[in-house]
Amino acid sequence: MKFLIEDVTVYFPYDHIYPEQYSYMIELKRALDAKGHCLLEMPTGTGKTIALLSLITSYSFSRPQSPIKLIYCTRTVHEMEKTLAELTLLHNYQIKHLGPQARILAIGLSSRKNLCVNPTVVAAENRDSVDAGCRKLTASWVRAMAAENPDVDTCEFFENYEKAASSAVLPPGVYTLQELRAFGKEKGWCPYFLARHMVQVANVVVYSYQYLLDPKVAGIISKEMQKESVVVFDEAHNIDNVCIEALSVSIRRQTLEGATRNLDRISREIDGFKATDASRLRAEYNRLVEGLALRGNLPIADNWLSNPALPDDILKEAVPGNIRKAEHFLHVLRRLVQYLSGRLDTENVEKESPVGFVSSISSHAGIDQKTLKFCYDRLHSLMLTLEITDTDEFLHIQTICDFATLVGTYGRGFSIIIEPFDERMPSMPDPILQLSCHDASLAIKPVFDRFQSVVITSGTLSPIDLFPRLLDFHPVVSRSFKMSLTRDCICPMVLTRGSDQLPVSTKFDMRSDPGVVRNYGKLLLEMVSVVPDGIVCFFVSYSYMDGIINTWNDTGILKDIMQHKLVFIETQDVVETTLALDNYRRACDCGRGAVFFSVARGKVAEGIDFDRHYGRLVIMFGVPFQYTLSKILLARLEYLRDTFQIKEGDFLTFDALRQAAQCVGRVIRSKADYGMMIFADKRYSRHDKRSKLPSWILSHLQEANLNLSTDMALHIAREFLRKMAQPYDKTGSSDRKTLLSQEDLEKMGDGSMHEMLY
Amino acid sequence: MNNGAGKRINGGVEEDDDEDDVNGDLDAWERTYTDERSWESLQEDESGMLRPIDNQALYHSQYRRRLRSLSSTAARIQKGLIRYLYIVIDLSKAASEMDFRPSRIAVIAKHVEAFIREFFYQNPLSQVGIVTIKDGVANCLTEIGGSPESHINALMKKLDCSGDSSLQNALDLVDGYLNQIPSYGHREVLVLYSALSTCDPGDIMETIQKCRKSKIRCSVIGLSAEMFICKHLCQETGGTYSVALDESHFKELILEHAPPPPAIAEFAVANLIKMGFPQRAAEGSISICSCHKEAKVGAGYTCPRCKARACELPTECRVCGLTLVSSPHLARSYHHLFPIAPFDEVPPSHLNDPIRKQKRNCFGCQQNVLDSGNKPGLAVVCPKCKRYFCLDCDIYIHESLHNCPGCDSFRHSKAATAKED
Repeated sequence: MKFLIEDVTVYFPYDHIYPEQYSYMIELKRALDAKGHCLLEMPTGTGKTIALLSLITSYSFSRPQSPIKLIYCTRTVHEMEKTLAELTLLHNYQIKHLGPQARILAIGLSSRKNLCVNPTVVAAENRDSVDAGCRKLTASWVRAMAAENPDVDTCEFFENYEKAASSAVLPPGVYTLQELRAFGKEKGWCPYFLARHMVQVANVVVYSYQYLLDPKVAGIISKEMQKESVVVFDEAHNIDNVCIEALSVSIRRQTLEGATRNLDRISREIDGFKATDASRLRAEYNRLVEGLALRGNLPIADNWLSNPALPDDILKEAVPGNIRKAEHFLHVLRRLVQYLSGRLDTENVEKESPVGFVSSISSHAGIDQKTLKFCYDRLHSLMLTLEITDTDEFLHIQTICDFATLVGTYGRGFSIIIEPFDERMPSMPDPILQLSCHDASLAIKPVFDRFQSVVITSGTLSPIDLFPRLLDFHPVVSRSFKMSLTRDCICPMVLTRGSDQLPVSTKFDMRSDPGVVRNYGKLLLEMVSVVPDGIVCFFVSYSYMDGIINTWNDTGILKDIMQHKLVFIETQDVVETTLALDNYRRACDCGRGAVFFSVARGKVAEGIDFDRHYGRLVIMFGVPFQYTLSKILLARLEYLRDTFQIKEGDFLTFDALRQAAQCVGRVIRSKADYGMMIFADKRYSRHDKRSKLPSWILSHLQEANLNLSTDMALHIAREFLRKMAQPYDKTGSSDRKTLLSQEDLEKMGDGSMHEMLY
Repeated sequence: MNNGAGKRINGGVEEDDDEDDVNGDLDAWERTYTDERSWESLQEDESGMLRPIDNQALYHSQYRRRLRSLSSTAARIQKGLIRYLYIVIDLSKAASEMDFRPSRIAVIAKHVEAFIREFFYQNPLSQVGIVTIKDGVANCLTEIGGSPESHINALMKKLDCSGDSSLQNALDLVDGYLNQIPSYGHREVLVLYSALSTCDPGDIMETIQKCRKSKIRCSVIGLSAEMFICKHLCQETGGTYSVALDESHFKELILEHAPPPPAIAEFAVANLIKMGFPQRAAEGSISICSCHKEAKVGAGYTCPRCKARACELPTECRVCGLTLVSSPHLARSYHHLFPIAPFDEVPPSHLNDPIRKQKRNCFGCQQNVLDSGNKPGLAVVCPKCKRYFCLDCDIYIHESLHNCPGCDSFRHSKAATAKED
């Protein structure tokens, strides 16, 4: 269908549209008009992706004189594939209705692991080895060597791609990763480099968050994106954590030992070069004298690492004299590693600001701040000069240099925490030095500055006013949309009491109370007997889950549960968890029924959907607060309070509730689906906690379901499941339309439309 | 727990004991919450007042939807009139739950009885068998046969529930039985499933495929919630899946299975079936009954081929295996082949239209279709004769009468006028 939103004709590939999609598009369009950033919350299963894609592409068609580029960031490769598949559908529709002027080029960009077509390279097991394997075949000096000596291996796909030079372009169209690989195979061109090249000209680029947020990668991939771009962060409820992780470094003993080994090898290489080819080192020295900014004399294809320090002015400075010579630089690094390993030998927990740390380095190891700042670039340049291709071996020393540069660059927003052992296991010495970033706005700031519009969207962004403060930007539009439903297919409940009317909670002083544990067990036991197929349970942490399952096992509750349903447990081991999930699904399919025990903030809570019969009920045991004694969290809270005036309590509750919402949101992935959500903790009934849940959950949380005990919840569950099993009318009754056709949209003036939506 | 105290107060009252046993782990106040749901029959109106739920309109719209869906598929479709139906009753632990009063199994038994009678009334040429699932094992309670009484008696004797439920075992068993029946018969299974899981010895998906291959139409009525595997089973085999909201809904759902379903295309070849129309023996004659194996006095039927005596019709002769029916049975099956079209709903505005004033009375019962206070009620109109009917008559005509009085009287008067001319 096609329809008008203000002055833009929107081409939408389906015959019907949900009202919330329509209003989502209106808000989005206004943000694009205003050339500003926006923050939009809309529940999962309402077709966010297609609404975004069709509006932005249509917007671009309507303004042919200044076309905008769409940069769509997803969290996982799986989501990327899904987005590209939707885009293919949309593109076909637009071609049909608009003709050739609707032609666009849309590609997905992923790591070599997902794009490489060279069978020998892609066989490697992890991402770093694939990257290194590729460099071994494609680095400029390897290819130069191959030109003289035919025995040296090169990658034929890369060679063909290079030969084709400027004629190596993708014809317009939408390419999923698989289609890209197929295209590369057919033409004999390397799909990875082709995609990287085409990113600059493509109309739509779909890739992972890291390509924009991680400064190491962003510098290479996203440097030349035009300003007139719309950047979309999908599923962005955790974007602040992604930003923080991109700028945080942790160093353990193993890292330092590995770094020492790396340094030994580098020094051997340097000695080797000195004997054979001293001119090369001298050339590098001369280049460094001119300044790193003039790195243009390095071959373009080789700039595979870049500067984590963001400010451009650093690049314009010349490299300090004391590390220009390779061996001098090596000495500096050795001293740094030695200093760090000295710091790790501590008995106490230490916390320091970067400024203090830098001054202590300069007094103890004699390395000043400016030198530290250049470590990363200097190492990079050195490795290029030494023609090192197996970069995956050198990750340790890269981590150290990364650390040094960050410490040297930022005086604020970071802290350095040294812990001699893990809090939970004080007897095992496992020293760790963490440089943790507290300010999510640091990593994302360049994105906000560079691009015209940044759209942050997810199913759970509540409370929506906190994100602009955390990320330090000013959205022109921030809205939360409700889901229009033909029937009340979600049933959230707050359970505050067990069957014996005593309150249940995972509050610290109550969580090990046998009464609470028993009440939780009873709740699950009752629920497995009335809920069909799959049930998912989320606990607040692994240790709590282990404890409570042990107790249930001892008291026989677990055995009773197993009579009704099989039990599967998430562990920290990814392979084990995948296997458990697989069997869980099979148990749900064949009618045996199953319960999955999982942990909030775990892999399962973040990325696995429990739609349809895989999750008819989700129980959130407790409020998933972060581990509040963690030094890093405390430091971050302090920083947030001082810098952004966000109260500790507010932030902790916000963080816990978004995790809880994320967990329970796993069960609803479409409107035809139905599911129940039980928040089992008395603290959820308090207004300050509850009000931070997303509005699409809150609007279904009836007043009567706020303070339930187990037996009442059981009764509600029975009724709900019976009601949901009845056949229903998909389009909704006339007064509450949930599917709009083209005529509906035309018929309704703006006024009535708004009335209906809000 | 309060149970001890409760018992002391109630002293020697006997009936209380069994209730206490079943609900032993619930407190007294919890029992009232779970058992007597007086509030369920109330609803709030716009002004916040409580009033009894007006279910009539709701039920009628549900009924009409069903009628439409039936007629849209069945306009002139061949129906399977000779059905071989196995009723699978889940007697697992879940069937003893008390959310239906007095218990699920009692409700099931009551309505299965009604269903079997209705089934034979509507499908006189068909046969039924009963299979129960208990302790994870499926048992054949009664062999497939045409006598309603014997099935009902057998079922009423065995109503204790225990153990798990296994859908696969039941399907395997039924599949084995149904594979032996002649090819003109329609194979059907109706599962009344209380449990929420199935403990199977093997892969149930294979069993479902097997059922599908042997053209068994499996339908499930659930008593608690929607289960994926049941839905899958029904989709694969072309049956229907429904979940009962309460007792009356359950009754409706089970009775929906009484009229014959559309025939499966592959089986829809014309076939001649040998049948006997036995004579009723004279009053007071004595003969040895072939079904009870004893001498009986009085009315019975004599097989035209082997002269054996049968007590009731329809049945299969125990001696020569001939299908014995009576001609009214055959005639009763006839209306399934020529159903009357569903009536159209009349918009309320039409009723107040002065031009159509004379049509305000129901043609069936002559009652005014307007509600008291001249508020237009719901009314329907026959698409052929354009007569108006009230809702009660609508249901009566479609479910019992199977003839439209309007059309019939019309035809009659036309014939009469033709004669006069």
